[in-house]
Amino acid sequence: MGSGTGSSSSPSRGSELAAALHRLRSTLARVRAELEVAEADGAAPPVVRLLADLREALETLGNVEAAALGVVRVLVVDDDERLGELTARGLRRLGFDAEWTTGLRPLRPREVVVFDLGVAGSLSSTDRAILQGSRPVVLTGAVDAASRALAEDLGASDYLIKPVEPEVLAAAIMRREADD
Amino acid sequence: MTVAAKLLVVDDEPRTAELTADLLRRAGYFVEVAASGTEALERIRTASPDLMLLDYEMPDMEAPEVLDSLRAGGRIPFPVIILTGARHSPADQVVGLERGATDFVVKGTDRQVVLARVHSALRERASAPAAVTRGRLHVDASRGEARLGSRALKLERRPLMMLQLLANRSGDVVTRGELLEVVWGSSYRGFEHSLEQAVHQIRRELREPGWIETVRGIGYRFVVQP
Repeated sequence: MGSGTGSSSSPSRGSELAAALHRLRSTLARVRAELEVAEADGAAPPVVRLLADLREALETLGNVEAAALGVVRVLVVDDDERLGELTARGLRRLGFDAEWTTGLRPLRPREVVVFDLGVAGSLSSTDRAILQGSRPVVLTGAVDAASRALAEDLGASDYLIKPVEPEVLAAAIMRREADD
Repeated sequence: MTVAAKLLVVDDEPRTAELTADLLRRAGYFVEVAASGTEALERIRTASPDLMLLDYEMPDMEAPEVLDSLRAGGRIPFPVIILTGARHSPADQVVGLERGATDFVVKGTDRQVVLARVHSALRERASAPAAVTRGRLHVDASRGEARLGSRALKLERRPLMMLQLLANRSGDVVTRGELLEVVWGSSYRGFEHSLEQAVHQIRRELREPGWIETVRGIGYRFVVQP
């Protein structure tokens, strides 16, 4: 369920893939050059810089895989540790590349955000703008008008009342993903 | 954690296996390493690890085959299993998790995230009650099995865990709050509808209504049937 069949061949996915591959080559070339210089000078390699480069290369590789294999990436934002991890694990069980955090972090390309409304109060204005731009799937324990208004204000693409079965959440994520 | 959990790292690439083992040992776990699916199955029989990090692709057998062998292997202990893979294909992930693995971690994931996933999976295991036999009923949620006499019951994971918890506390009333905490991992009351659906599924599969009694306003009680 977590793979977007057919979408990997679209022109936008193709150019995303090419750009990610170029970044990957560029990063790996830099790592190689750093190591060759260190070897030629008989010096210790710049470990911190190389680690940062390799971290970037792995991130880029993740982007390549996501674009090539149609992996749908999801960030679950929930301040309840057990519930957040269980939601992310339930989505991984359905094939999504799902991560859980207690707050918003920089989003990966094409990442869908599943946002627990209880976290809204702790958002900075910058985070709020990022969240609105991501058009999140919003989860809430309350059904009142104020919660719904807050979800709309956060740019919600969908608004689901907890508890949500993973399959229902997955369907909302796929609807959001298909909008791009 | 009072006693270090026993972990088994399975990877056919020795350096990768040792680096993963080192990460886990530094976190206080007791870690052994196996280099193939066959060796992993043998270690599970002899060492009964609490959790296994299992490489998806190995020359002798892929992870789904290891999981199938474990299920077919009779009453050997079934550890918590986290799959690790270099190839991040949604299909592989789904196949592995459907066959009984708890989680999937793609290789190259931040080491702190790997540790967090291991902690989380072990914590869930620790809160689960043990396999139990009560009269004609046998339940072993860690192996995904329940039987009434010779008939296998088709239960999803949470109803299975719930039946095991109730059977372990046979005769006692188990509150809805405790069921939510142990089975759903949250005391969040919004899960109560899911809890009722789970009870419905258990009763339907058992086909004998007397096993699970509703104690109105409090919870449920398991009653052994002749």
